[in-house]
Amino acid sequence: MDDEPKLVCFSCKFGWGYLTKQEGLKDASDFLMPVECSGKLDAIHLLKVFKEGADGILILACEEEHCHFQEGNFRTVKMLYLLKEVLQAHGIEKDRVRIALSLDPEGRSIPGRIAQMKKSLMALGPLNRTLL
Amino acid sequence: MWNTVSKGAAAVERAVKQYLPPCQEQCPINEDIQRTNVLISLLPEDPSAAAPAILEIGDYLYDKNPFFPVCGYVCGLCELECNYHAKGGAIKRRLLKRFISDTYIPYLETREEWTLVKHRENVAIVGGGPAGLMAGYDLSKRGYRVTVFEASDRLGGALWLIPRYRLPERVLASTLEGMVRMVGMDVKLNTRIGQGKWTLDKLKNEGFKAVFIAQGTPTPRTLTFDRNPVDGQDLSGVMYGQTFLYEVSHGNIRPNYFTGKKVLVIGGGNVAFDVARTARRLGGETAIVALECEDKSSRDGIPADVEEIRGAWEEGIRIVYSRGVQKIIGESERMKGVVCPKCTRVYDEKGFNPAFDPADTLVLDGDVLIVTVGQGPDWTALQTEGLVDAHGRLSVDPVTLQSRNRKWAFVGGDLRKIGFMVEAMQDGLVAAESIERHLQERDMTEGRKRVFEVQDIPMRRHYLTEPEVVWIPPEKRMHFQLFERGFTLTEAIEEARRCLSCGPCISCKACVSIGLRDSLNPVEVLTDRCCGCGICVSACFYSAIQLKDVDMGRISVTDAFKCKACGMCVSACPSGARTLGEDPLDAAVITLAAGLQKQVGAGA
Repeated sequence: MDDEPKLVCFSCKFGWGYLTKQEGLKDASDFLMPVECSGKLDAIHLLKVFKEGADGILILACEEEHCHFQEGNFRTVKMLYLLKEVLQAHGIEKDRVRIALSLDPEGRSIPGRIAQMKKSLMALGPLNRTLL
Repeated sequence: MWNTVSKGAAAVERAVKQYLPPCQEQCPINEDIQRTNVLISLLPEDPSAAAPAILEIGDYLYDKNPFFPVCGYVCGLCELECNYHAKGGAIKRRLLKRFISDTYIPYLETREEWTLVKHRENVAIVGGGPAGLMAGYDLSKRGYRVTVFEASDRLGGALWLIPRYRLPERVLASTLEGMVRMVGMDVKLNTRIGQGKWTLDKLKNEGFKAVFIAQGTPTPRTLTFDRNPVDGQDLSGVMYGQTFLYEVSHGNIRPNYFTGKKVLVIGGGNVAFDVARTARRLGGETAIVALECEDKSSRDGIPADVEEIRGAWEEGIRIVYSRGVQKIIGESERMKGVVCPKCTRVYDEKGFNPAFDPADTLVLDGDVLIVTVGQGPDWTALQTEGLVDAHGRLSVDPVTLQSRNRKWAFVGGDLRKIGFMVEAMQDGLVAAESIERHLQERDMTEGRKRVFEVQDIPMRRHYLTEPEVVWIPPEKRMHFQLFERGFTLTEAIEEARRCLSCGPCISCKACVSIGLRDSLNPVEVLTDRCCGCGICVSACFYSAIQLKDVDMGRISVTDAFKCKACGMCVSACPSGARTLGEDPLDAAVITLAAGLQKQVGAGA
């Protein structure tokens, strides 16, 4: 579908879907990207995927206080706070980046979360890449 | 789905110098605590899916420590050094292991034995306790033909003295039976070496090339006062703690044996508390008389564990601190009470040297006196076999456990030094290694002393508090069933997730074994890009990064042992000077971007 928003989803391997085959999760989204820790994500990675065509980014991080690498999830929350301000200054809606702090070993909620975010991206319309 | 690998990239490595998490450093046999904690934290929450996964963790533990089902009930030494100790309570590692044990025991009972090729020499093990069995297990796995000579009618030694309310009989019996069966050791019960026709020389003549002597400490220490034995220890009603526990474990003492009687237990160690709590469960009105004082932090503090003291206190056992026993009062051949002067000092600079205040004396009435002031080896047998030196002490090398008098004999366990069960097991492993080196005529000492460094607690904003351990209320636990409740699956996962996994990756690799990562790739620093700003130092949770002055200026360096390859410093570095080698993330983002472009292109 041409007008379906392109959503990139980064998911923490220690909190999300580690009991399911990674291929199974891939069905949930064309752009699902498991990472060792959400704290590993750099603003550069996120800007890169925006620049290359994503309309939105969903980050699935560990529950608060339960990061395997101590506080990687908290680092991401902090980073996102600043990134959103920068994006907004450039006229990009803050809601195009979201983070969920939770635990879902079987990854059952991932398709639902992706669908939900796609729906709100639909309302926002495609990202005007000239703003980046 | 749940599947772990322990070979190749996921194998745990041993190194001469290495960092370990403090729990593993504290554990005498360096069990892979962190690895199994992480694996437990990743268990499925569905019990039927979790069961095979739990057995997989159990198999992994069993390979290195076949006593782990018992350790899960009685040990917990690792918890003493847990980094979490000061920050919300140590990780309940013992209960986590007990959780694995509870699923593992029924499986172990029917587990198919290993096929081991026994192509090497015959080795005799004297004493079937933790030290002896551990040595036998390790040697059998190395291909030696092992025969265990046990003096009593069952294996296990002092483990049988642990009361049933702490260690269920089935767990112990199945563990012992499983060990012997899995590796195929020969066992000769009711055979006491050093007495009668069974001597070390006879073993040698029978073709045993080496012997490991771990007979333990079967002789109870008698009560002394001012270096002289206290009179009246032959009175009726006086017995020794070890003997008492032995008889209880053999089922020779009927329930309510002490009902209506006043039982006095002398001693302040854990065994004394085991005795007192057992006597209480047999209906006795029990009091403990300890030489040491209540304040555990002082030099003269009581040596028993806090949990034991709390348990005894809850069960209505009176604890009389700082009292010695000067005299046993007898009346027509029966013991009637003890005279207890105040103990003013237990230890001085030289060691055990109690002092008393004769003016302050207490008389305690009692019908039964159980002396539990320690135990010692059977010196006569050791002397006959020529294992002691001119001073009457054991003549043994502390590093290799080789006897100095008889080079083919190795000595360990409680016999050498009284300690915890796992310390005896460690002696067993050390002896097994020594025996192999001795039989292969290799260097006995090279590389034996391993130096471990302990990693500090990682930095984080919040630390979680420990879960409450549930004990059955005292009024309902006056029986020999377990009084401590184990973890449920959910609780075990929750507690294992609390583990900070503060140790280094190289001794853990849980994430590699379960497939969350392909390999460990510590951070590399591109020195020409690094400006030495130090942002990475504060970004690292594990204090793995330091700044170093070099010719060109200041750069940051990462300790590869401490690095967890989490990538926090990589994303924090403002000049892109840090990389995780060939990090799959960067490559993946490029692929992702290409995919996006394609779709965007198609849509346009």
